Amino acid sequence: MIKDITIGQYFPGNSFIHRLDPRAKLIVTFAALVEIFLCKNFLSLALIFIFSVFSILFSKISFKVVLKGLKMIYFLIFFTALLQIFYNEKGNILFEWRKIKITDGGVYTAIFMAVRIISLIFISSLLTYTTSPTTLTDGIERLLSPLKKIKIPVDTLAMMMTIALRFIPTLIEEIDKIMNAQKARGADLDTGGVLKRAKALIPIFIPLFVNSFRRAYELAFAMECRCYNGSNHRTRMKIMKFTWRDIAAFIFIGMMLAAIILLNHFFGAVI
Amino acid sequence: MEKATLIRFSDVSYRYESDNETPLPLALKNINIDIKKGEFVAILGHNGSGKSTLAKLANAILMPESGKIYVNGMDTSDESLEYEIRQTVGVVFQNPDNQIVATIVEEDVAFGPENLGIEPSEIRKRVDEALKAVGMYEYRFHEPHKLSGGQKQRVAIAGIMAMRTDCIILDEPTAMLDPKGRKEVMAAMRKLNKELGIAVVLITHYMEEAVAADRVIVMDSGRIVLDGAPRDVFSNEEIIEKAGLELPESAKLALLLRRSGVNLPSGILTAEEFIEAFKFSVSGGAAK
Ligand SMILES: Nc1ncnc2c1ncn2[C@@H]1O[C@H](COP(=O)(O)OP(=O)(O)OP(=O)(O)O)[C@@H](O)[C@H]1O
Ligand SMILES: [Mg+2]
Repeated sequence: MIKDITIGQYFPGNSFIHRLDPRAKLIVTFAALVEIFLCKNFLSLALIFIFSVFSILFSKISFKVVLKGLKMIYFLIFFTALLQIFYNEKGNILFEWRKIKITDGGVYTAIFMAVRIISLIFISSLLTYTTSPTTLTDGIERLLSPLKKIKIPVDTLAMMMTIALRFIPTLIEEIDKIMNAQKARGADLDTGGVLKRAKALIPIFIPLFVNSFRRAYELAFAMECRCYNGSNHRTRMKIMKFTWRDIAAFIFIGMMLAAIILLNHFFGAVI
Repeated sequence: MEKATLIRFSDVSYRYESDNETPLPLALKNINIDIKKGEFVAILGHNGSGKSTLAKLANAILMPESGKIYVNGMDTSDESLEYEIRQTVGVVFQNPDNQIVATIVEEDVAFGPENLGIEPSEIRKRVDEALKAVGMYEYRFHEPHKLSGGQKQRVAIAGIMAMRTDCIILDEPTAMLDPKGRKEVMAAMRKLNKELGIAVVLITHYMEEAVAADRVIVMDSGRIVLDGAPRDVFSNEEIIEKAGLELPESAKLALLLRRSGVNLPSGILTAEEFIEAFKFSVSGGAAK
């Protein structure tokens, strides 16, 4: 199950979006997410939704993958929409039966919310689909590097982040292995009350912790062997340079912002 | 012509620190080794004989309790030389999972050179070269956790290669691999040694791997008991057995046959040699 999560995965490629500078990508993604929340009516929302769909087409990542990423939150979308339909009592009544009242305002809001969530997922997952975790952390590190002036060890934090990301799959595999090993010894992980199940997890987590310490120790040796010492003399293989692509992306997202503000202003708000 | 010495252990002893009052016994006792440029050395020894300790000492991760270690003439106890020593001698450890730092193959290979503060374009060049040398260039954009054990280990080797070390010490790099993975890693190592002239020190439990080396060192309880060409080393059956090791399969079989009266020469190490000698012996026996 855990292995099926596609959000946060990286799909190597060479598209326009893949080749954006990670800093630019972070800023543009953040701006796009803010813009989603600025949308007040269907026109502006449609604009940003089309933007997110086109971004995916542009990234050459198959829609199947993106939709698979949505799978985890179909329920959330469905539930939000349902709540809006049954509890939002704005606008004209479309249907009434005993206590249940469905209004057109409710239906609109439901659709609006659903599209908004989908756009949010599209845009935020596109960031991780098209950027390797290391590049992403590098980007964050550069964006936050002014914080070094107030003695925040941004580069060390970024290294921690990279290692965390690197070890997530390894640890998942390890949990799997330990669970099977304990099951083979007759551990019962799937039945009983909450307390019993929580207790059954102890023999899983203790070996996991012990192994993680051993791993940390070995990794530290290996990193030291490769001359890592936490100083800022490090260089990077991948140079970050803003190109015309990034400028185009900035201009585009700026124009989107202007369009959304105008659409919000001249057309009525749905929510 | 005598080749220049790369790593010199001169009367080195080492003891791990104990958690309590009683000190631990010496893990290494009066070790003397000279490893030359471009040499392919295999180190054998039972579990706990001090092989890994030796590797960590050569890389200035541990400091000797007594004696001196020189890497290219640099004293490893001089902390200011640490950087240069690690650029001369690199270590690949047993478990590739615990030495890969980055989430993309090529970014991991770049880790060492990045730490050395090398120019980006030069790093790029080194990374591509190293990945090609170990045959992992096609996998440069892959995620390490999706690779097989042998592939991961080759990425780890490339990571050290990209630092352009003169010597690579591999601490049981094939211990966790299946025969196919072992072959891949062995081929990569042989290539480093023969084509690029990098000295390789291979710590291993596989006698067959040691046979392929120029020189074999056998350790027993923190001491060096044998040091020489494979053929000479493996002719000392008693010492090998006393050190808790076994001869290579073919050598063992030849020895048993010889003991039971079959006319076989000594010094057989590989299956090919065994077959040749056995054929000769059988046909010679028939002629008699
Ligand atoms: N961190 C440590 N603390 C204390 N003692 C240690 C430590 N590491 C190793 N030793 C001891 O030092 C001795 C040599 O260990 P070393 O790891 O060098 O052996 P090895 O030849 O590499 O064995 P193996 O074949 O199992 O890898 C052993 O007796 C071991 O118990
Ligand atoms: Mg060892």
